[in-house]
Amino acid sequence: MTSESLVVAATLIAFGLIVLGVAFGSAVGDGIVASKAVEAIARQPEARPNIFTFLFLGVGVLEAFPIISLGLAFYLLLVVVKVPDLLAHLK
Amino acid sequence: MKEEIGAHSLWHVPVLGTVHADTVLTTWLAMVVTLLFLGWIGNSYRSPRATKRQTVFEGIINYVADLVHGTLGPRGEPFVPFFIALFIYLFVLNQFGLFPFKALGLPFGGSPTADLNTTVPYALMIFFMIQFVAVRRFGLRYYGHLAKPFVWLLPINTLEELARPATLAARLFFNIFVGELLFVIIASIINAKVSIGPVNLSIVVSILPFFIQFFNFFVGTIQAFLFTLLGIVYLSLAIAEEH
Repeated sequence: MTSESLVVAATLIAFGLIVLGVAFGSAVGDGIVASKAVEAIARQPEARPNIFTFLFLGVGVLEAFPIISLGLAFYLLLVVVKVPDLLAHLK
Repeated sequence: MKEEIGAHSLWHVPVLGTVHADTVLTTWLAMVVTLLFLGWIGNSYRSPRATKRQTVFEGIINYVADLVHGTLGPRGEPFVPFFIALFIYLFVLNQFGLFPFKALGLPFGGSPTADLNTTVPYALMIFFMIQFVAVRRFGLRYYGHLAKPFVWLLPINTLEELARPATLAARLFFNIFVGELLFVIIASIINAKVSIGPVNLSIVVSILPFFIQFFNFFVGTIQAFLFTLLGIVYLSLAIAEEH
């Protein structure tokens, strides 16, 4: 096992962990926001446009963090470690 | 074939140093498009009767205007045109990535907001506008709110205040950037020519960009709206405080 393959393996595991956490967290968060919005609309149908504004505000603020961490994960994968180049080199 | 992301054509300007030429050109184009669009709407108000374009676009304009009024109260009136223009301008900037100008060999194209050099100045613009408005309204006493409710919360409050433009810029940048990054990922999957059993993955995956484009349109609209909305909220936090 060369040090390069070790680096590639570690980076891929880290990337998988990041995507796992990001997907899990954002799915749970989006689900909570959407379910609360549906509850609020069911309770007060006349407040629907107002609730929609805050639904999109919440989802937008929430979605930023997974996307930022996803961008950083791809930065780690493609720029810092350059996994595709290393993989081509290992073949 | 090689896909690239984050690569920009460069201009070397004497005083400013190196600038990203495609970002600057696309931003200028977006400014022209936004000005023409707003002028086109404004021109329709010359006639006393309501025209079709007024009726269509007044919905959007009224939505943002109501948001400003609802959040800032009657004192928000002077900021209504600013936030409407900001929303429409950011919408145009975000949707520029929809058109394949760069693939056609033109010097501009791609969303300028997929460049951190575009989003940071806009976030700083919001930040300094809020400082300016608040200081003009309350004087330097405005900065007293940093030491509330306790004096030793000063570092945390300052950090929170300074984190706002940073998150504002990073949110917009990464949302648009990851949208473009997805295309590069899809392109590299197509290029890899992987086949699972009888299924050629390249052909299966090549339908995905169609859906990603929809997703990007949605994300671009939401993020433009969110940038505007957070600007309004931060402004309301700054000027609604009791002193």
